[in-house]
Amino acid sequence: MLTKLHAIWQLMEGQRLRYGAAVAALVLASCFLYLVPLVPQIVIDGVLLDSTATPSRVVTHGVALLGGAEFLKHNLWWPALVIAVITVCAGVFTYLRGRLSALAAEEIARGLRERFYDHVQHLPCRYFDTVETGDLIQRCTSDVETIRTFLSTQIVEIGRAVLMLLIPIPLMLLIDLRMTLASLVLVPPVVIFSFAYFFRIRRVFKDKDEAEGVMTATIQQNLTGIRVVKAFNRASFETNRFEGHNRVHRELDYRLYALFADYWSVSDLLCFLQRAVVVGVGIVLVAMGELPIGAFFFFLSAVSMFIWPVRMMGRILSELGKSLVALERIEEILHEERESCAATDLRPELEGEITFEHVTFHHGAGQAVLEDVSFSVTPGETLAIIGPSGSGKSTIVNLLLRFYDYESGSIRLDGHELTTLARDHVRASMAVVMQEPFLYSRSLGDNITIGRADAHNEEMVEAATVASIHESIERFEDGYQTLVGERGVTLSGGQRQRVALARALLTRPAVLVLDDALRAVDTETEAAIIEALQSRHGQQTTLIIAHRISTLMHADRILVLEDGRIAQQGTHDELRSTDGLYRRLLEIQASGVDELVGATGGTDHG
Amino acid sequence: MAELIVHEEDYRGELDLQLWKRIARHALPFKGSLVGLMVNGAVVATVDVLQPIVTAGLIDEATKGEAADRTRLILLGGAYLALIVLICISINLFIRQAGRVATGVAFDLRMKGFRRLQELSFSYFDVRPVGWLVARLTSDCSKVSSLMPWFLLDLVWGSCLITGIIAAMFWLDWRLALVVLCIVPPLVLATIFFKKRLLESSRMVRKTNSQITAGFNECITGVRTTKSLVREEANLEEFQELTNSMFLHSVRNALQSAVYLPIVISLGSIGLGLALWRGGIDVSAATGLTFGTLVAFMQYAGLLHMPIQELATRFTDLQAAQAAAERIQSLLDTEADIRDSDAVTARVAAAKPAPGDAIDGEPARIRDIEFRNVSFAYKENEPVITDLNLRIPAGTTVALVGATGGGKSTIVNLLSRFYEPTGGEILMNGVEYRERPLDWLHGSLGIVLQTPYLFSGTILENIRYGRLDATDAEVYAAAEIVNAHAFISRLPDGYSSEVGESGGLLSTGQRQLIALARAVLADPQIFIMDEATSSVDTETERLIQDGIDAALADRTAFVIAHRLSTIRSADVILVIDRGRIIERGNHESLMAKDGHYAQLYRKQFVSEREHAVLEGQPAQKEQ
Repeated sequence: MLTKLHAIWQLMEGQRLRYGAAVAALVLASCFLYLVPLVPQIVIDGVLLDSTATPSRVVTHGVALLGGAEFLKHNLWWPALVIAVITVCAGVFTYLRGRLSALAAEEIARGLRERFYDHVQHLPCRYFDTVETGDLIQRCTSDVETIRTFLSTQIVEIGRAVLMLLIPIPLMLLIDLRMTLASLVLVPPVVIFSFAYFFRIRRVFKDKDEAEGVMTATIQQNLTGIRVVKAFNRASFETNRFEGHNRVHRELDYRLYALFADYWSVSDLLCFLQRAVVVGVGIVLVAMGELPIGAFFFFLSAVSMFIWPVRMMGRILSELGKSLVALERIEEILHEERESCAATDLRPELEGEITFEHVTFHHGAGQAVLEDVSFSVTPGETLAIIGPSGSGKSTIVNLLLRFYDYESGSIRLDGHELTTLARDHVRASMAVVMQEPFLYSRSLGDNITIGRADAHNEEMVEAATVASIHESIERFEDGYQTLVGERGVTLSGGQRQRVALARALLTRPAVLVLDDALRAVDTETEAAIIEALQSRHGQQTTLIIAHRISTLMHADRILVLEDGRIAQQGTHDELRSTDGLYRRLLEIQASGVDELVGATGGTDHG
Repeated sequence: MAELIVHEEDYRGELDLQLWKRIARHALPFKGSLVGLMVNGAVVATVDVLQPIVTAGLIDEATKGEAADRTRLILLGGAYLALIVLICISINLFIRQAGRVATGVAFDLRMKGFRRLQELSFSYFDVRPVGWLVARLTSDCSKVSSLMPWFLLDLVWGSCLITGIIAAMFWLDWRLALVVLCIVPPLVLATIFFKKRLLESSRMVRKTNSQITAGFNECITGVRTTKSLVREEANLEEFQELTNSMFLHSVRNALQSAVYLPIVISLGSIGLGLALWRGGIDVSAATGLTFGTLVAFMQYAGLLHMPIQELATRFTDLQAAQAAAERIQSLLDTEADIRDSDAVTARVAAAKPAPGDAIDGEPARIRDIEFRNVSFAYKENEPVITDLNLRIPAGTTVALVGATGGGKSTIVNLLSRFYEPTGGEILMNGVEYRERPLDWLHGSLGIVLQTPYLFSGTILENIRYGRLDATDAEVYAAAEIVNAHAFISRLPDGYSSEVGESGGLLSTGQRQLIALARAVLADPQIFIMDEATSSVDTETERLIQDGIDAALADRTAFVIAHRLSTIRSADVILVIDRGRIIERGNHESLMAKDGHYAQLYRKQFVSEREHAVLEGQPAQKEQ
């Protein structure tokens, strides 16, 4: 508990002064609020009433303060004006309290969101391999929101309830001890009942949330699979199934209403009874001539002012658990370690010379994904990598981009050991196109220029043209302004790959990496892209990972990867004449031609 | 699609009463609870009004001191307690009644919406993301249904309370009443002024909040791309614009509340001051105004703001929920554009089908299928299918081949009547298929989609989806036919194994086999299949191929084919390009022709062999 309080205190850093000021404003506002019913008490008991009961010192002092009984008797507008002034003061401080606590809470929430965003961006790739995206997003959004509510509302409400309860006590004691006790007698039961009730029905909330989850999932599945539903004519089956879940949800939802009905009516009863106790004791005392009416009015007003916030407090206290859980979940992520920085963090100008020397890499404790891999690429050279899936092709790219760090062997860029170079510098000097590229939900143009914001329009169009996506983009109504994603167009896999390729080309990297980046692109388009890339040969070091011979046969050198090891390497011509995977693939190509030739005795379509 | 989503957060300033009237109709089945709500609202308001009067009586009696009438005191005290008990009972009852209405209306709206969604055609789903539709049936329904009972309750309670307080004050002392009521106009004005702004600012908060969620989503799903582009700083800067605007909107929203509440409370206190001033003068002048009445007036002054505030809140709730209400109503109002014509419906109602007949009394058996001059366009002037003619006798397997986007899927969707031709006609047994019932046609089809969708549940449940009354043995038999039995039996839980969400616990190949078994179990007259292109290992590939061959044997089938073996064994191959059939025939005749088909075939031949070499061994997955 203490550590959690400490964590909350830590969160408030930078805003503690504001919170302090908010508390001060809250104290002042509460004081003023209780002065409001005090004025009628002073006027009634000190001026209007000739009672047998001796007015309390509060009243005599008050009367004196307001100008004496005689003056007041003939100028009743004066106490009315005093009330107005007091309420305005109370209002001003209430406003200040609201303003200060809102500023503090929102400032903390903003800081937390930004810290989170920044932190998540800098977590290592390994972290994302193990974590569930949905859960992470939940922590970033609803957990942060829970904390914000806690800071902006819950803390404030609890503080308000405590102060509203404590501030009138000295005043009440000065006026009448018996009435004070009568006013407070049911406060503990109200708090305890509210707290205990909500604490006990937590389970039902959870059940209802789960039922809602099941119902939502049913709808989600039905709609995602609506084509299957229609294909098998299963509308009524689906409707019946949904009706069941819908019914369960309705029943649990109603149960919550019923529980709330009991909570509100019982706690209201307690609160009303508290007032009834005040009325009962007060009336008896008034009748006995021991309590002036003004004092009675004051107690009645005071009870009405604090009993409802106090009830609220019980409920909020029972919900604090949730906020603390959210806090824990958030801290958990913030304590994850970021990508490490090297001590040296060199940032030399890079030309694109790559050397792998005896590199071995494991994923966790499992089998090696790469084993003793050595090769090198000179600046401007094009290296192609081919191999069955699972042979470690993408791992080479991941290591090169420092998404993961290798365990043994050495990877060097322009002779610098990769781990001595700054991560962002390594990545900035490379451009990678992945098999399933990610596009940002902004315009196509922005997506292409995102790697180099200062690119000219012509350069963007040129990159798009090389990537064979320019014409497709022009065909959209809004051209390069067309939005990608939910709010815009849905692109096919091939189109996304080509946009990503344009994006990569535009950055003019020292090293261009195509990680099976043309898989979803049809053969004709692919040929055009390869040809365009050929014409840029020498401008950058290029790594191409591909499945089709046609994609990589023009590379300067070809690496055949099998089971994490380099099985063969050489030029197209060299590999053609050696027995191995590459030659087998080539033979298949040829046999395709043969098949056709055999069937038709005709043309060669290369 | 873009339009749909952009308007999501929109709301009109004006209340659309027509719309709300229509929405309110959904609550009519809960008349009993609605009446109960109104009664209890009135009871609570009455008690609220009576309490200060009883207190006043108590005070007046007590101030008589020695002369106080004890029985009257006890009576009034009893009345005070009775009122408390009464109000608590009413509170308990109205919350339950509100619950009954809210949960009941939500249930009904969801059922109606769900049923409607089952009827709507593909074109409706093509342009709406699933998540968007799900939100209509979940959050929109909750929002609208939970608002209704509270609106009614507060309407009754609020208006009763205002009238009650005013009436009581006039009854007690009309001149004092006039003075205290001076605070009502500013109360109303302030409330309207601030509620409008609060509505606007909280809307902005919600909107920005969903942008922030989208921002985090992008941050996480695009993390590798961001890293490779070294965009962390730039992303953060852009995200900061969002958090800044969130900060501004939230603070504005909080400040509006922070100003509004003190103003309302101050106005109440000013009413109290007015009562004290005028009432005090009267009391000291002994005009007959008692202390009890004075206290009652001061209490009323403090109460007045509550009904006004509450009513205003309900009206802004209504405004805030209007967009949700509109979306629900428009879903319920959408008519399915593909459904049985009235004539067909009438025929189905009148028919007494003999065995072997469909529900409309016509023969159930499909002997032949004909496309006559069929054309189709999703959008005007953008034809997808042009002037298609085709005649297929029962028992024929038709393979559709050709480039993506050529119209192959559209042809099978037209055949399945998921879309209807925009020109020409499709005939079954020589009868235009729009003159036959949709249920009969869909009941005659077995469809395997390219990306097979499985529902979460067990394998058994998923296969049985093809025919709900199939016995376990029949399910096993269907699995056997398509080669799925072996792998299912090897799973620890066999047929009772859970497939996970969208079948996620199974591999792509396994999902395909189960989808095949599902369709085979349905034993359809027409088998429609969109062959998967996704790569699976060679072993599974062979299993699937044999499964498909078994499923297609002796059946009328339309297959969007990618596998050579499927294509080769088809009776008729149609090469589709830009909405037209550019070549037709069987494998041999088309190869001999050496046209488009031959070219396609050769390409596929190479790629299948390449695939076999590269993916030959069951791959150890690269992470």
